[in-house]
Amino acid sequence: MNNEFEKYGLSEEELFARVDSRSASSEKITAPRYSYWKSVFRVFFRKKINYFILGLLAVVLLLTYVYPLCVSYDPFANITDASMKHLSPGKAIAKLGFSLHSMLGTGGQGQSTFDAIWFGSRISITLALVCGAINMTIGVAVGCLWGFVKKIDIFMIEVYNIIANVPVILLVSVMIMILGASFWSLVFAMCLTSWLFIAFFIRTQVIIIRDREYNLASRCLGTPVSRILTRNVLPFMTSVIVTYLAAEIPSYISYEVYLSYIGMGLTEDSLGKIIQNAQTAMVTPGWEFEFWAPVAVSAIITVVLFVAGQNIGDAADPRTHM
Amino acid sequence: MHRKNGHPSRSSAVLEEWAIMTKYVIRRFIHGLISVSIVIAIVMILIYGLMNKELLFSSDPVFTRVGNNKKTLYMYARWQDYGYLKFENYTTWMQELKKSGKIDEDTRSHAVILGKTSAQDSDLTKEYIEKFTEEYTKKGFTVKRLEAVTELSGRIAKGGEPAIFAYKDIPLLSRLGTYFSHFVHIDNIHYAKNVEGKRGYTFTLHDPVYGGKKFSPAIIGNGTEYKYLLYFDGRFPFLHQNLIKIRLGESYSINQGIDVADTMIEPQGGYVKSMITYPTGLKEKSADDMHSAAYVAGSRKTSRMLKARFTDDYTNTKTVKNQRSKMGFSFVNGILSSMLAYLIAVPAAILMARKKDKLADKIGTVYIVVIISVPALAYIFLVRAIGGALGLPTAYDLEKAKLAMYVLPIISLALPSIGNIMRWLRRFMIDQMNMDYVKFARSEGLSEREIYRKHVLKNAAIPIIQGIPGTVLFALVGALITERCYVIPGTGGMLVEALAKHDNSVIVGVVLFYALLTVIASILGDVLMATVDPRISFTTKDR
Repeated sequence: MNNEFEKYGLSEEELFARVDSRSASSEKITAPRYSYWKSVFRVFFRKKINYFILGLLAVVLLLTYVYPLCVSYDPFANITDASMKHLSPGKAIAKLGFSLHSMLGTGGQGQSTFDAIWFGSRISITLALVCGAINMTIGVAVGCLWGFVKKIDIFMIEVYNIIANVPVILLVSVMIMILGASFWSLVFAMCLTSWLFIAFFIRTQVIIIRDREYNLASRCLGTPVSRILTRNVLPFMTSVIVTYLAAEIPSYISYEVYLSYIGMGLTEDSLGKIIQNAQTAMVTPGWEFEFWAPVAVSAIITVVLFVAGQNIGDAADPRTHM
Repeated sequence: MHRKNGHPSRSSAVLEEWAIMTKYVIRRFIHGLISVSIVIAIVMILIYGLMNKELLFSSDPVFTRVGNNKKTLYMYARWQDYGYLKFENYTTWMQELKKSGKIDEDTRSHAVILGKTSAQDSDLTKEYIEKFTEEYTKKGFTVKRLEAVTELSGRIAKGGEPAIFAYKDIPLLSRLGTYFSHFVHIDNIHYAKNVEGKRGYTFTLHDPVYGGKKFSPAIIGNGTEYKYLLYFDGRFPFLHQNLIKIRLGESYSINQGIDVADTMIEPQGGYVKSMITYPTGLKEKSADDMHSAAYVAGSRKTSRMLKARFTDDYTNTKTVKNQRSKMGFSFVNGILSSMLAYLIAVPAAILMARKKDKLADKIGTVYIVVIISVPALAYIFLVRAIGGALGLPTAYDLEKAKLAMYVLPIISLALPSIGNIMRWLRRFMIDQMNMDYVKFARSEGLSEREIYRKHVLKNAAIPIIQGIPGTVLFALVGALITERCYVIPGTGGMLVEALAKHDNSVIVGVVLFYALLTVIASILGDVLMATVDPRISFTTKDR
């Protein structure tokens, strides 16, 4: 044996060195440390405009949820004072001095338009968030099962074809007539069938990734369906779900405005109700601002919610984390 | 079917494909009809079963005026009108008996008098009440007696007269059955009860409406509901028929006694008068449309005016008006706005996809985001305000119809569709751009322009093309906010108006109309997509 190594002009020690156990760790494949949520935030804040959008979102949420706690607002405080009614911002500032209350003028009951808008948006945004949460939870859960289990698919497609043909406006108005036009009955009416549309969307997404190799492998190894859904399928769809939610929440606000406009909305002073009440002011010269202020604010709220959600959805897509 | 069929074997393959497609379409259609009838059943449960019947009277002035037993009777009578239940009053039943000759006036007038309580009824009354009860219980009715409401003095209170009536809730299945069996109505010569002359159809080459000299073929019925079953006139689509009528449901409060389908397609606006020669030879300037003459039994006996004009009892004519129907207005607005939307959105989406991440793409994205997220109400009113400031008309005027009044509604309707088409076409085009065939085309030396126009757009447009039949058909439905905002007399508000006025049969009719459109649009969309894209086939082995 020795002679063979000597042939190369090398000693045995030079050819073979004893390996200690620590060097074995170099066999591990190393990769940069990856944390999903950290990457989401890193990607999200890489775009400078997102700081601005997040700032706007914070302002909107503060005005919606914190501002009403700090001020006392009574819509009927000035109802007997004719000189307080239908003031344009300029006149209101001249009369009351510049403040948050006066900067958007006053409405038909002498109430501050600024206060009315944010008290109203608290109702509207809460409605949208609650509806979004309920519909998304039910929709994603049903959609995952719907996409995964073929027997359910045949049945659910039929249900979908039928329910999608019942006009939402009919369901909402019947529910409101039965339950009354309160906040929770509107939530119920708007959640009654809307989850089905989300579930249908999720189902299509699930079907796309259901038969990928890694899911097939999981199934072959005997992983239960519930585990495949929660560990393989759902994380893959996070960005899709967030993007969908980003479009969904502003749409509830728009829908609430729409319902109020056609006279089927809440009895409480939500954003939609304020816009509906200001309709008569809209056609009166000099009073138009009363209508445009809540409309513009609702537009700003929906755009901010939408853009913030879209960009978070983009950042939640692991493919952008490179 | 998209290839020229020159070769015999190829043409037989084309035929086969046609046969498969027809089969597929028919199967889808039948399937759709089943879904639609379930939808109607659900809607009927919702409105007849779940909704509070008493809400009908919330804004009824008569309801607050009548009292006591009269109120109850009034409520049941109205519920019958709105289709909730069947209802029969004892007094009307007695009158029917007298009319059919079973009893004489003397018996009727005595038997119809009810005692203050059932114990105070006369024997004759008791006998007839028993008959009434027996007859209606057999039919499944519930008979109810309202005892007299008396004041302290013992006098009967206002509206407190005693009454007996029978009522029966209509079960869902029979309601559904009746509805669909009445859906298509084919006129026949046994419609009119006592028609003069021989029942039958006559075909004439010279329509008598035009004096009987001008060549104009028509089919005239005697004994039918309408006199003119098939005829030509100068209005689009020139050939008209009264033989087959679609009945979506008779309106009660919106347009009393008129079917929903007719409410949608009837012309509106002012009368168009022209010189008309009535069948008796009388000439007069009138807006009557002689072709729409419908049978009204005994109408000439009761009206001298009609007797002077008509030679038979086909006297109920519609009038010629100068404006479009509800559906016509909605359709014109819908179609023109969709055309505008495609014209703007398709080039814009191509530009966005080609200049991805450049300025044009960013501007387009901002537009899409704003249109998707902002409530439709906001930009429709904005368009109206801006248009109004520019001097464009912001409201429809049926008296003085101008072309300019279409401008703002069409722009308002096009705005969201532009955003939608841009959003999806851009997405599809960018997806296509990463495909291997595009890289191959580029390496083969095709110009970017050629790649986009001939290859990427063609492939990306397929899902967009699928939506075109839906866009066209749903233009019939109208748009609620736009129509309200510009006071357009269109179909958009019908469902909401019917809901507000509790006009149940209109609700059912409108929902059926929507559901049928959805079914047809989705089938047509798939067929169109398969026609455009040769790779899509309906043969089962490919799917």
